[in-house]
Amino acid sequence: MAAISLSKLNKHYGSLFHAVKDVDLEIADKEFVALVGPSGCGKSTTLRMIAGLEDITSGDIRIGGNVVNHLPPRDRDVAMVFQNYALYQHMSVYDNLAFGLRNKKTAEAEIKVAIDRAAGMLGLHELLQRKPKQLSGGQQQRVALGRCIVRNPQVFLFDEPLSNLDAKLRAQMRIEIKRLHAEIPTTSVFVTHDQVEAMTLGDRVVIMRDGRVQQTGTPLQVYGKPANKFVAGFIGAPAMNFIDVTVRSETGATSVEGEGLRLTVGASQAPALAAHNGRRVILGVRPEHLVLGDGAPGLGFDARVEVVEQLGSEILLETRVGGASVTAARVPAETVIARDDQVRLSAQAGRLHFFDPETELPISG
Amino acid sequence: MAMVRRSEFLPWLPPMGRKTLFALALAFICFAFAFPVLWLILTSLRPESGVYYVHRGTEFTLGNFAEVLREERIVEAFVNSALIATLATVFSLLVTVSSGYMLSRFTGPASRLWFGTIYVFRCVPYISWVLPLYFVTQSWGIYDTYTGLLLPHVAVHICFFSWLMKGFFDGIDPSMEYAAMIDGCTRWGAFIRVAVPSALPAISALAVLCWLFTWNEFLFALILTGNRVPMITVVMAQFVTEMGLRWNLMAATAVMALVPAFLIALFGQKYVIRGLRI
Repeated sequence: MAAISLSKLNKHYGSLFHAVKDVDLEIADKEFVALVGPSGCGKSTTLRMIAGLEDITSGDIRIGGNVVNHLPPRDRDVAMVFQNYALYQHMSVYDNLAFGLRNKKTAEAEIKVAIDRAAGMLGLHELLQRKPKQLSGGQQQRVALGRCIVRNPQVFLFDEPLSNLDAKLRAQMRIEIKRLHAEIPTTSVFVTHDQVEAMTLGDRVVIMRDGRVQQTGTPLQVYGKPANKFVAGFIGAPAMNFIDVTVRSETGATSVEGEGLRLTVGASQAPALAAHNGRRVILGVRPEHLVLGDGAPGLGFDARVEVVEQLGSEILLETRVGGASVTAARVPAETVIARDDQVRLSAQAGRLHFFDPETELPISG
Repeated sequence: MAMVRRSEFLPWLPPMGRKTLFALALAFICFAFAFPVLWLILTSLRPESGVYYVHRGTEFTLGNFAEVLREERIVEAFVNSALIATLATVFSLLVTVSSGYMLSRFTGPASRLWFGTIYVFRCVPYISWVLPLYFVTQSWGIYDTYTGLLLPHVAVHICFFSWLMKGFFDGIDPSMEYAAMIDGCTRWGAFIRVAVPSALPAISALAVLCWLFTWNEFLFALILTGNRVPMITVVMAQFVTEMGLRWNLMAATAVMALVPAFLIALFGQKYVIRGLRI
């Protein structure tokens, strides 16, 4: 078991593409960290550098306190699960599981014990003699997990392991990975572009964009106190609504005004916002923090319904407020509502976010 | 993209008519390919006096085969051809597999240079290499030797088949090799233990193609060998003499030369098809 430390990590591809920029990250022993971000943000490259599959341009990677910058993958004592399973197609499941241990010259009897244990945990006993081609996607991914477990490495690395699975299987495997980490607490880095996976699996979530870390924090921190507008928009489903508003600070009250809405800002956010009096800021409000009807005084506004998405458990409303498009979630499924209806939406008190339009940093919060 | 449905092919014909036409076309193509071979076999079984009226004769003999097999030079040519084909296949595959892997997985200057070299070689017509190779083998003192014939064959195979092998490796997910490297293999170990076994169908296909190519090759064999290393394709042509053409013996030799190639193609075709589908 080991902590991972990345300091000033950089990766250049030629002189044109700077894939990973000054990444600093401390991952504690036995911690499960999810690296999340859009395609091309550098998360997989970072993971591959930890694994030793990519050379680093500058910076340091430490695993268990030792600098591993120039160690080949086989000497880093890590195990990795790949997006497309990466099982050895010409070997049986048993041989796939045994491959790493045989390379370490482990005795066959010991290998058998380790495989039995992993197969028991993942329900692979029936599949041990099959070839990977004879397995379903979910079974192949379980074998890939098993291949990591049997080696008992210091670190587990996951490179979008659930992306090739259908939605139902993905949810099952998510639970399986969570359960595995509870049973075998091992330092884990999980790369995904799916923020739901990152939020549900990670003890901490690291959000990346354009090769840089945008924010590191617990799922609750990145959801509740996003470090910038990008994080606010990336974390949460449906995504946060952003509306251009102007700050009006008068004696005793601060409010924001946009096209078709005027919201009173709570006392906790008012001082920071007052400094922007008369200036344009970006209001962010999550769809699940908008309720249908009148809520707290000064936080309601009228909207015209454009799309009604009935999910069975709730309704998602796509509405228009002035020139902005605003999504509202958690509308009770039984609500009778139709396109072009005028509705009253109210933001929950204390759930408003404000961002500087230039820097995209939060103004208060 | 608009798909041409079956019924749109010659729509004015009834379905039965279309099927008949299809069967006739197939039969014609099969006949066009099989006819020369059948004629060759027929000629090889006719006495020398009967080769010019093969279609009318009723007299058949295996004497041509016996006569050909009595010729030491022909037997020697068979052995030489088989040996050169096998050695050329083995040596060229040893290089081609790793060369194709390098072209597929590495993008550095060495890989680009190698790719460019192969590209240039492939752009030059095959026949243009024969005369320079003749002078090179002469000056190196390997003209009319196994080495003198083997080296050009291996070089040609490497250049022609490295591209094919690259294509095969492109179709194999490199994650498997990364997994092997994390599981304790070196890069070379991952290639030998994971990439090569995964490419075995393709390697088998190339082996079949290499062997058949060398076995059937005429130009190198003609120019780069003399009397010391007779090759079957050259010996076969030597039945054309000043005294006339000995079609029956040439046909018997050709039929015998067909057999190994036929057997290899017969048993190897499933690998070729599977390999080319990777």
